[in-house]
Amino acid sequence: MNRRDVLRAGGVLSAGAGLGGLTACSGTGSTGQGGGAAGDAAKGDITVWSWAGPAAELKALVPAFNKQFPDIKVTVQDIGNPAIWDKITTGLAAGGGGLADVLHIGVDYLPGYVEKFPNGLADLSKLGADTYKDAFAAGLWRTVSSKDGRVSALPWEANSAGFYYRSDVFEAAGVDVDAIDTWDAAIEAGKQIKARTGKYLLGIDKPASQADSANFFQMLLQLQGAFYFDLDGRITLDSPEAVRAMTIIKRMNDAGLVNDISGGWNALISSIKKGTAAVVPWPTWFGGIIEETVPGEAGKWGVRLPPPVRRGGLTSATVNSTHLALAGAGKHQAAAWKFVEFVLTRPENQVKIYKGKGIAPALMKAYDDPVFHTPSAFFGGRKPGEIFLGALKADSPAFNYTADYARALKATTDAQTKVLLKGADPAKVLREAADQLAQQTGRKKA
Amino acid sequence: MTALATPARTKPAAGGPQGTRPPRLTARRLAPYAFVLPALLLFAAFKLYPIAWSFVLSLHKTVGGVETFVGADNYTRLLHDPLFRTALGNTAVILVVQVPVMLILATGLAVAFDSAALRARSVFRLGFFLPMVTGLVAYGIVFSVLLNEEYGLVNWLLGLVGIDSVPWLVDPLWAKISLGLALTWHYTGYNAMILLARLQSIPGELYDAASVDGAGPWKSFRHVTLPGLRPALLLTTVLSTIGTLQIFDEPYVLTRGGPDNATLTIGVYLYQNAFTYFDFGYASAIAYALAVLIGILGLIQFRVLGDRK
Repeated sequence: MNRRDVLRAGGVLSAGAGLGGLTACSGTGSTGQGGGAAGDAAKGDITVWSWAGPAAELKALVPAFNKQFPDIKVTVQDIGNPAIWDKITTGLAAGGGGLADVLHIGVDYLPGYVEKFPNGLADLSKLGADTYKDAFAAGLWRTVSSKDGRVSALPWEANSAGFYYRSDVFEAAGVDVDAIDTWDAAIEAGKQIKARTGKYLLGIDKPASQADSANFFQMLLQLQGAFYFDLDGRITLDSPEAVRAMTIIKRMNDAGLVNDISGGWNALISSIKKGTAAVVPWPTWFGGIIEETVPGEAGKWGVRLPPPVRRGGLTSATVNSTHLALAGAGKHQAAAWKFVEFVLTRPENQVKIYKGKGIAPALMKAYDDPVFHTPSAFFGGRKPGEIFLGALKADSPAFNYTADYARALKATTDAQTKVLLKGADPAKVLREAADQLAQQTGRKKA
Repeated sequence: MTALATPARTKPAAGGPQGTRPPRLTARRLAPYAFVLPALLLFAAFKLYPIAWSFVLSLHKTVGGVETFVGADNYTRLLHDPLFRTALGNTAVILVVQVPVMLILATGLAVAFDSAALRARSVFRLGFFLPMVTGLVAYGIVFSVLLNEEYGLVNWLLGLVGIDSVPWLVDPLWAKISLGLALTWHYTGYNAMILLARLQSIPGELYDAASVDGAGPWKSFRHVTLPGLRPALLLTTVLSTIGTLQIFDEPYVLTRGGPDNATLTIGVYLYQNAFTYFDFGYASAIAYALAVLIGILGLIQFRVLGDRK
């Protein structure tokens, strides 16, 4: 072999190795058995995957669980978010190999998992999940169950759209926060706040450095009863409601009211510590994060539901939810179900979790506890629990996430970035996004 | 191979019947294969099988949870996919702009590292090689912190000398530049080391002869150093091309392919399709398109830069 042959062989091998590395990403669509009632209900060794705060709360519940089920050993692992999605996807693609028994799954991933890996998650109806059908906030059962009666998860937290604000900033700017009755009025208030205090109205991750940079857009959509898809799964990303939502964002940005919080979680937390914006339009769970982040600002914050997009329109929307599911190939499903049932359907446990991390339960009975009805010193004597309970109880339209939610989100964040960074026309970029989504998914436009 | 064909020892195996082939010889014939077998099995299980299976996958699509054969559909879809074209374009830009800049820098560095005029050469060599051993994700995160528009160290330093803050990761053009900077920082030292190794094998007499012929530093660089470096330049070019086409970690950690897909590379797009959209068939088709591309570009580079006989 001369040097040239060695080089060539090296190049070919490297290319092959590259292909091998990339193809390792691929998997099969088929998964485990997905039975639903395997194992002993009173005995077993189960593992639970969650992330950060929720994982800590699950861990804290294990001793109480073991008093009742001493022979079920529970190991809770904090996988981290978003790492947990890759880990679950890989496990499902590998036919269920290596997955934990209990999986904490967000609504943004659940429909995709259910559709792409039909037996990847256990059918909880076989374990008696149906008895809890009416125990959870309205609309959530549709998210976890299918038309043929399969139940792929049990709801845990239900987050309603929220409007956290710095009351001291509003006061300094001379704006009455309770008088804001539409997002148009919020823009006017934002202009006044900017002029008098120099603060932005709110922050958005403009270049979409994280997938959740479209949270605000999605909330504006849902406040109009609209979404990326209609109930038949057709694309509605370029609907008049979507254009209206994106136009509100453009107007805010053009008026200099939007702070760029690119850089993910750290940038968001930094902006709250620095107090760069007057409003944090995040859902229920974020109240606990604010309290944790700036404990010294007790009394300077307030909370209310967001204003409607149109006067008199919706002010409540369940913008996201998370759920506990069981791995379809799990060997201890019956024992794992006992744990899920213990955590999610006992009001006292949900109250404990709420007190610990402010995670809002989907279990309606939990809201009977006084903790949801006491004024919060941090939020200026307001009762966040009652505010969000009102939103959960309100009639809210159903939203169809579909298995293509992640693609829709990507198309949306790209469109939003074009609007925020280049001043693009909302109608045009949304039309392009909808076309692209149709091309990628084979779905029809509504 | 030759050792087997002509056994050095002619003494028959102890106890072996005369006239028949000694059993030891068969064992000796098989021994190399037995030694290679574990590696072959591992290679087949973890390389060949996934490569073959992903080709099968690339001909399938998941419909309602069932793998359905769709023939070349995923490939034709690839031809009409604007995002794939964007990814291809972005990767091409890195290939055409960043790789040559990096290799020119690496050549310069290699010459400097080789020069007797440079003091504490090993310290410099180590310093420039160190980025290579840094974990990809770790350095991606460090760069994203350094280049943060509002809180980053780089903009703070620029501010000290009166330069406005640069939207490193926020603006589509600057995001591409940032990605190029990160890649150059990471890989230049590595390429410089390969070039340096080759440089040290160029005989000193050639330089002496050149200087006798009246060649200055530039002429001897052009007529002695560069031709001598040719094989190493070919190697670094091919390796960099393969690496660039597969680039994933840096854009994934730094910008997630954004803003507005400005740093979306083929690797990131493949990953998104597989792990965010669960579209394994399409992701496999992208992997195959990429492999074909790497093969073609590799061949072209061998033709252009390889030895001309």
